[in-house]
Amino acid sequence: MTAATGEPVLWNEAELAEFRRMTLVWGITVLLLLPILALLGYFMRLYQSGAFSGMRAEWFYAVLTLHSLGMVGTWFVGSMAGVSYLLLKYARPSLGVSKFAYIGTLLGVLLLIACTLGGLFGTGWYFLYPLPLFAQGVWAPWATFTFFLALTILGVCWTVWTLDMLRAIAQRYSLGAALGLNYLAGKSGPELPPLILITTVSLIVSLSGFVAAVIVIALFAARALGVNVDPLLMKNLTFFFGHDLVNITMYLGIAMVYELLPAYAGRPWKTNRVVALAWGAVLFLVLFAFFHHLYMDFAQPTWIQKFGQICSYLLAVPAGVVSIFGTLALVYASRMKWTLASTFFFLGILGWGIGGIAAVIDSTVEVNFHFHNTLWVPAHFHTYYLMGVVLIILGFIDHTGKELSGLEEKPSLSKLTTALLLIGGYGFLFMFYWGGVHSVPRRYAIYPREVMQGTFYARVAVGFITLLLVGILLYLWETGRRCLKALT
Amino acid sequence: MPQSSYLVPRRNMDRRASKFRHRIRPLRLFCVAWLAVFLLTSAGDAFAEESFGKPSQEPPNEDRYIYKRIPDVSVTTASGVQSLSSIWRDKPLLLTMVFSRCAGVCSPFLRSLNSAISDAGGLGAHYRVLVLSFDPQDTVADIETMAATLGVKSNADWIFGVASPSDIKRLAAVTGFWFQWDQASEQYDHPSVVVAIDRGQVVRMLAGASVPSASLREVVQELRGKFVASYALAGKVAFRCFEYDPHSGRYTLDWGLALMLLPGMCAILATAWVFAFLPSSRRKRSLL
Repeated sequence: MTAATGEPVLWNEAELAEFRRMTLVWGITVLLLLPILALLGYFMRLYQSGAFSGMRAEWFYAVLTLHSLGMVGTWFVGSMAGVSYLLLKYARPSLGVSKFAYIGTLLGVLLLIACTLGGLFGTGWYFLYPLPLFAQGVWAPWATFTFFLALTILGVCWTVWTLDMLRAIAQRYSLGAALGLNYLAGKSGPELPPLILITTVSLIVSLSGFVAAVIVIALFAARALGVNVDPLLMKNLTFFFGHDLVNITMYLGIAMVYELLPAYAGRPWKTNRVVALAWGAVLFLVLFAFFHHLYMDFAQPTWIQKFGQICSYLLAVPAGVVSIFGTLALVYASRMKWTLASTFFFLGILGWGIGGIAAVIDSTVEVNFHFHNTLWVPAHFHTYYLMGVVLIILGFIDHTGKELSGLEEKPSLSKLTTALLLIGGYGFLFMFYWGGVHSVPRRYAIYPREVMQGTFYARVAVGFITLLLVGILLYLWETGRRCLKALT
Repeated sequence: MPQSSYLVPRRNMDRRASKFRHRIRPLRLFCVAWLAVFLLTSAGDAFAEESFGKPSQEPPNEDRYIYKRIPDVSVTTASGVQSLSSIWRDKPLLLTMVFSRCAGVCSPFLRSLNSAISDAGGLGAHYRVLVLSFDPQDTVADIETMAATLGVKSNADWIFGVASPSDIKRLAAVTGFWFQWDQASEQYDHPSVVVAIDRGQVVRMLAGASVPSASLREVVQELRGKFVASYALAGKVAFRCFEYDPHSGRYTLDWGLALMLLPGMCAILATAWVFAFLPSSRRKRSLL
């Protein structure tokens, strides 16, 4: 194996086998978590449709918290594990650190399950200050402590993992080269794989997000000790962290597509000046786009809100337009080999585009007046998650499972799986969008009389989610089988 | 209600008791017992009427009372009886409650309010001030004396008045105000609060031993119809992102914003450290 720089990367077979094994372990863990967390989402829509009228609403919020944090965490580690595996071609990430991150992630997930399902901790993923500290008797102090302990463990493990991957890239590339500055300067070499460029940008951003999370947790601790903290600062920092983490997951997924889709299309997809400029712009813009989460916080000065809208608009251009246009150009008139993996990569990019458009619409202040905290919000982020990065990561796991097991896929089953995921997924999302347009609020366990139509939309969504779950189960059966074969 | 009006002086009770000691009859004993119970109950009622609300070391929490509708109570002033709504209908109102026998915070508080109003301006043009006594013993003359002492008796935009105990309690209930009679000091324990009322609703509350000019200026901005998006709540808040300057109506950056810059700076420094200093197989260890 040689690096793009022409220098050999020293991996012996035993090391490679061990790393592949670890990647499969990550992949299988993601595949196990997917149906569990998806069922939690199913439960929530069932609850909103009135199926569990005798159950305490606190369960809805506890499940909401676990579902949201669990999904965001699962796909983040899924994308990190995927990119880490693909980096083997160019760099030497540490296997030990990957194992450390795995153990930490498992521990964090267990603690999250304990505090939500065991302790009914139900603040939502954003644990907006100072709600976790004022449970009103719904959850016990131990649940709050466990929640923050889980976040701390996950944060530490993922920060170390992020730093290690940066270290691995730094061993082969200078920072300027890894960010594609030579392309911007008009030089042709050294050649930089898009995977390295996008991963470097994403890891730097995720580091900043983790630091923001550290500050948030420290300020929560200060509040617990009696120091009043500015709620506006806390909300800014929380969304700095949350928005970055979600975006980074998406970008790491895109990095995988840049790396793997060319092999299916039979064409190269190389870094050029436009790509380098686009991802350089992402590095700057993504740090400020999160302001669109605070449009309704009128204590935030107007110029920040305007800046947030401008950054949100601009962010769509480099990452979204360049990558979507690049994908279409790569596939157009090519001898594309359509497998489950390549189909998922392609559909994932399109899902990202669709969700991105919905996000840009919502990031317009005037529109946000109407859509803020309605079902439009989960609609757009579920679009670029479920129909975007989730498909890409599932595609990667399928690609890797096939590569390592040697088991071929059944085209008819792949088509059925894809059809079920598309119909179920977009049908489920459509009911979110429809609810948002009709002012149905998000995060309501039971809809009040004024927005009772939300109950009907939830019932329709339940039907689509059933199709989606069947699709997921078919995928798990096929891909899980291949991954297990490769592992054993 | 005067505390003493419901109580029989102790020496009178003792004298009556000594008479009864010599000629006790069952019927009389019953009557005396009944009278004693009645008097004690009445005395308890008298104490209850002297106090209202739950005493607290903390100032009333504005969050709990904001936008509460003010009851339309009757206020008796030197000009006669008028409804509170007739006072706030023309202009917004700053309401504060004091008592004339106060040997503590009332007079200094009113002086600081007067001083802050002089500084903020707009009295008469944009708002008026109502100083209401919550002490049932206070008369219009008592409260007018306070106006004279403050030097605002001739100012029509300073209104001094009294109200019935039940009306005072209704007002106190929607503004978080409380008062408790302390027999030892013969004084009321109570918070010092200015309640800004616009169109019959609580729009702001300022609590504390004095009224800071800057805070009152914010309130006046609001009463003028200007939207003040952010202001400091009672108690210190660490790391505020922005500070509102009521003089200019602008925001200034505060230390919290420095914390907002920290994540990005840490990420840049950590990346630079990783690329510049960690062992590398690159021939050149340059950052770029």
